[in-house]
Amino acid sequence: MAGFSREVARRIFAEELRNSNRSFRDVEDQYAPSYLLTPTGAKCNRVFMVGALTERDNIGSDTEYWRGRVVDPTGSILVYAGQYQPEAAQKLASIETPAFVAVVGKPNLYQTEDGNVIISLRAEAIQRVDEATRDRWILDTARRTQERLKALESASPVLAEFSTADKAASLPSTDVDQAKQHYNTDVKQYRQVVMRALASLRMDLDRGPRTRSDEAAMHDVNKADAVEPDASAIDAATKDASHQAKVKLEPKQETTKKNRSKTTASKETPLSGFSGREEQDEVETISVFKKS
Amino acid sequence: MKELVDQIKTRLMDQNIEVPEEDIVARLKKLVEDFHVPEAEARRSVLNYFLKEHGVVLVRASSEPVKVSEISEPNRWVDLDVKVLALWEPASDAISQTGLVGDSTGTIKFVKWSKSGLPDLVEGRSYSIKRVVTDEYQGKPSVKLNRTSQVVELDHDVDATAVIRSGPAEDNKIADISEAGHWVNLKTKVVQLWDSNNETISQSGLVGDETGSLKFVKWAKADLPELIEGKSYSLQNVVTDEYQGRFSVKLNRTSKIEELDFDVEVGSQSVDFTGAMVDIQKGSGLIKRCPICRRSLAKGICGEHGKVDGTYDLRIKAVLDDGRRVQDIIINRETTERLVGLTLEEAKKMAMDTLDHEVVRAMIEERLLGRYYTVTGPRVDRYILVEIINETPVVVARDVDELIRLVEVD
Repeated sequence: MAGFSREVARRIFAEELRNSNRSFRDVEDQYAPSYLLTPTGAKCNRVFMVGALTERDNIGSDTEYWRGRVVDPTGSILVYAGQYQPEAAQKLASIETPAFVAVVGKPNLYQTEDGNVIISLRAEAIQRVDEATRDRWILDTARRTQERLKALESASPVLAEFSTADKAASLPSTDVDQAKQHYNTDVKQYRQVVMRALASLRMDLDRGPRTRSDEAAMHDVNKADAVEPDASAIDAATKDASHQAKVKLEPKQETTKKNRSKTTASKETPLSGFSGREEQDEVETISVFKKS
Repeated sequence: MKELVDQIKTRLMDQNIEVPEEDIVARLKKLVEDFHVPEAEARRSVLNYFLKEHGVVLVRASSEPVKVSEISEPNRWVDLDVKVLALWEPASDAISQTGLVGDSTGTIKFVKWSKSGLPDLVEGRSYSIKRVVTDEYQGKPSVKLNRTSQVVELDHDVDATAVIRSGPAEDNKIADISEAGHWVNLKTKVVQLWDSNNETISQSGLVGDETGSLKFVKWAKADLPELIEGKSYSLQNVVTDEYQGRFSVKLNRTSKIEELDFDVEVGSQSVDFTGAMVDIQKGSGLIKRCPICRRSLAKGICGEHGKVDGTYDLRIKAVLDDGRRVQDIIINRETTERLVGLTLEEAKKMAMDTLDHEVVRAMIEERLLGRYYTVTGPRVDRYILVEIINETPVVVARDVDELIRLVEVD
């Protein structure tokens, strides 16, 4: 039955998310969902993350615009909520740091002027949770990441052969193949990310019963300091993105707005490193070989 | 313009394709001048056009005429003479048509991509389809009609009758339906009829038997008698379909409906799902229901009975997500009261104090959102009607150690 089906919220550790820089759409339509492809081959339009909220600031000028930093054992991710995510913004504003939070959000890529690609999450929902939930998330995310790594390992080598005369068919067809080709993913590196997360969880559990929440959060803050340099560039970017969201949400658009959202949408494609034509061919290839 | 033409020429040369310059110019001019296509867009379009032309040549050389039963491996380019036996509803906008085609040797699923630009196939007619690519999913072969494929209607009928006879519908229970494209007979009761806003569908809704319930679609073209909610029927020769792991049955022209003189008892099999609660949906919390049909009201109005004096109820509509799949769940009043620690009376008082129903939903979010739960209950359409819900057990060292060992071994 054709119709709307909700996008799955993928489980990805912060370190892997931060190494992600490829976004794409399945079809060439500005309203088509955009996906982030991560190094281990997760194709995500939505992410579920649980970690320690270590900072949260209102960085808006006229209207409130909240930025929070959520930390997991592997690193930190910035989470944004503005006037187009009113419930999440209000929640973020009301949570005292540090606290364990669960975030459901959309990944958002931004390219800085010096060419760096920075990722953040635009929060759909944010909620204070307990430490037990954070533990479950780490185990859950470790499992899912491990599954993706297994798929990566068992996948055929990059540029697998297809027994067909169609030239375009030699392009990779699965998320795993695409991730391999785009990131040249080192499975060992991400296995270590998983191990690090699990080892840290194991240590937390060893430290005994549930009295460690403040301490754990502080512990995580220190880790985060080492990896996250500038947030200001992303602030500008995500504000821009939330602008876009507004444009996209309004059903009755004027032509000028339409053009605007079109340009902002196309801004994401250059990140892929593919030219427009190849991008399109690629999509076509996917549809030819998609299992239905 | 000259620059664009040169760019296109170079790109084509890269592919060893030689196209006369005036052909490129003509096509480009048409797009840019007659259709006001932006240059970059036009360039791509022209390039694709000639590449496609070239692709056709490449593929034409390698497709071969076959019979349906000879298709056994994916990624072969083949030509077939077939009759369209059934058309199913496409599961995605990317697909313009899907269904079953057959010849004297067997039947096979086909998918016609929207991008193929091919004319629509008509059920019951016979076609020569050329340069289609074979595919395989879970051991079942199919053919895909893409941009390079060709469809020509035949003036003679392809004999596919032997095939239909060789695959008689089996008597089935709903819970046993596990594959799409199977012909089955069911004895069911109509649990629910839905409003159809699609003119190709005469009726749709839920049918159930003692093992469960599933969606049915009765095509307008099927020309079958109307089903009545609450009555039991024998549905014969209906075809199973699947979308995102959920099964349905389609009633078409070859199907038969007979009312049963006994009542089919609708039961259900309980299923489990574990995941994080990622959304508490609108319509959760304190709601009002129609006193006649129990449907939830929108602004005091029942879809069936108009403006009514509703009765209060408490429920949760939520989404669980395990990172691979999402599962919609509905939690009834009793379970909601226990889970949230809030009775219907307390919820009513809360809402009255704040003059806002939403305060109840906000409280539910506060308690449940972002946490991990395991639910058990019967599956009805896309929902699990939750009978049991528990937070998943606390992570203990043993869980972590087990996973660490697993990661180390791999």
